[in-house]
Amino acid sequence: MFVVRPAELTDIDALESLAAGTMPGVHTLPKTRDKIAASVERSIASFAAHVDIPSEESYLFVLEQQATGAIVGTAAIFASAGSNGTYFSFRNDVIQQVSRDLNISHSVHALTLCSELTAYSQLSGFYLSNRSSAGLEAGLLSRARLLFAVLAPHRFGDRFFVPLAGITDKTGQSPFWEALGRKFFKMDFLDAEKVIGGARNRTLIVELMPHYPVYVPLLPGDAQAAMGQIHSDGELAFNLLTEEGFEADDYIDIFDGGPILQAHKNSLRSFSGSMMRRVAHAEPGSSSDLMVTYAVAASSEQNFRAITVACPSIDATDTISLPQEAQDVLMVAPGDNVICVRI
Amino acid sequence: MLVVRAITASDLDALIDLARQVGSGMTTLKPDRKMLGDRVSVAVASFAQTIPPEQRDYMFVMEDTTNGRLAGICAIKGAVGLDEPFYNYRIGTLVHSSHELNVFSRMDTLYLSNDLTGATELCSLFLHPDYRSGNNGKWLSKSRFLFIAQFPHLFTEKLIAEMRGYQGEDGTSPFYEGLGRHFFKMDFNHVDNLTALGKKSFIAELMPRQPMYVTYLPEDAQAVIGKVHRSTAPARKLLEQEGMHFEGYVDIFDAGPVLQARVSELRALRESTVVIADPDTVSTDAEPLLVSNTVLKDFRMILTSENPVAGKIGLSESELGLLHCQSGDSIRTLSLSVRKNVHV
Repeated sequence: MFVVRPAELTDIDALESLAAGTMPGVHTLPKTRDKIAASVERSIASFAAHVDIPSEESYLFVLEQQATGAIVGTAAIFASAGSNGTYFSFRNDVIQQVSRDLNISHSVHALTLCSELTAYSQLSGFYLSNRSSAGLEAGLLSRARLLFAVLAPHRFGDRFFVPLAGITDKTGQSPFWEALGRKFFKMDFLDAEKVIGGARNRTLIVELMPHYPVYVPLLPGDAQAAMGQIHSDGELAFNLLTEEGFEADDYIDIFDGGPILQAHKNSLRSFSGSMMRRVAHAEPGSSSDLMVTYAVAASSEQNFRAITVACPSIDATDTISLPQEAQDVLMVAPGDNVICVRI
Repeated sequence: MLVVRAITASDLDALIDLARQVGSGMTTLKPDRKMLGDRVSVAVASFAQTIPPEQRDYMFVMEDTTNGRLAGICAIKGAVGLDEPFYNYRIGTLVHSSHELNVFSRMDTLYLSNDLTGATELCSLFLHPDYRSGNNGKWLSKSRFLFIAQFPHLFTEKLIAEMRGYQGEDGTSPFYEGLGRHFFKMDFNHVDNLTALGKKSFIAELMPRQPMYVTYLPEDAQAVIGKVHRSTAPARKLLEQEGMHFEGYVDIFDAGPVLQARVSELRALRESTVVIADPDTVSTDAEPLLVSNTVLKDFRMILTSENPVAGKIGLSESELGLLHCQSGDSIRTLSLSVRKNVHV
């Protein structure tokens, strides 16, 4: 069994070895031990914080293999993307050019630097050590963050977005960056990501990035082709997120042109399809043919736990039958409320 | 003998013949009787001062008095952009700088502008191939400066001339291929023809309204911004000698430069003088000199080798005849070439 839970100080070693396998420019995990420790501490403080308005909180989750205690994945969610700055992205605009006199009408795409995503909550740092063989736990890890947001809506905005890494080649070159960012930053993609620490909310972005729309037809073909395309490492996350209800196409990353998926919470399945149920005790061996798999999270902000469970459908009942082991992992007892969504 | 003079209504047929020689590339001189006829009417009304200065279009013809042929044409438009919008790109600069990263990027930008609206324009210069010899080309082009020097009050302070932009051997424009084509999706020649039909502003309305970074254009397109067509290079040089210069405005299609000047700073305004016709005056200098009468309605100009002495100029009887002048009349003069060491 896999469980998603808030990261703890004792996870720092495990997170450090996870991060060792990540690629800069593709994965947004902090790399150094100091930064990992800082993000864990910040997460612990965020879970403990009493929040009125979403601000600088960032919540870091780990995916733990229950049997071995191994940390095999991590994911994060920031309460407000622009809490300490403005979150910049390119909005993909369509400009209609019409001349009745000449009987011409066509549309031109243009990228405009914008800060519209600033007040959104941001999903980030999704990483699994065994992406290729991952099963339901991948969906659980991605979704657990949103179940936490369902439980604690006051901690988050009404809209969410997720930037996914764009196309880079083996040497870390990004065709989109070569055509655009390089002209303004005058440095390599990875160097730029390094100096900016992967952030998109720094003042230097507005200092350096184009103030006026970038007309897409003027970009080289390979840069145009890279717009909105994901790095192959991001496919799993992309599929999970589009299934969840996130939409691509409106925004792309200002550095590598990768897609930024976004949605209002009402169009996300975790919000619209989740149900609150009371825990009932499931007798061992009481399985039926009509088992449904749910992601289930304990409805406690402080001791958040999420697992996947196969159990009889809860559509027509007000309880969910959980085996003892599941109750133990979730730290709940019969009669407690849990939040459930089909996975 | 050649004379440059104000156009008259009876010049229309000869003008159409001349326009047939022009070929493509000159959008304001197409051999179209209706278009040219309308234009000549405006020009005649302009010299007669029966229409307001901003609507005027002063057309000058170079006539060969030995056979009555028209050897060339040139014009001055009182003001551009008052009937339909007059578009140019202004080359601007944006600096993107970050102290934190120690990055300083100076970026050229193209701003779609109507900044030159209302300016006086030199245009429609064409010399028949049979007459492309000696000083004729220089004379025809510069005749307009002498006219402006005589009647500066008829013009706005800003004077412009659009120069034909760079084209490759095959007649394509690298700038158009790199920019305009993406927005119009038609060939450069087609755009050129629409421009000739007075539809330039319609086309311009299809251009993106926001400034553009030059760095996004292909390198061959960037390289020709402000560059003239090979055949236009001598014309550009002549205008620059008279005080016109490139100030960062270019054509929206081929990026040809717009040359600009303040009328009061033209060489013609500074150096041109008015003297009295006196056939008895004898000069020792023989520098080519533009001379004209001072009559707007019947403006006439010739090139002479007589030079003024003590406020008088010894033009011959036949020269005075070409100018429709008599001994004792005022004559405006301007040396054809820039004088070196003027103050020595």
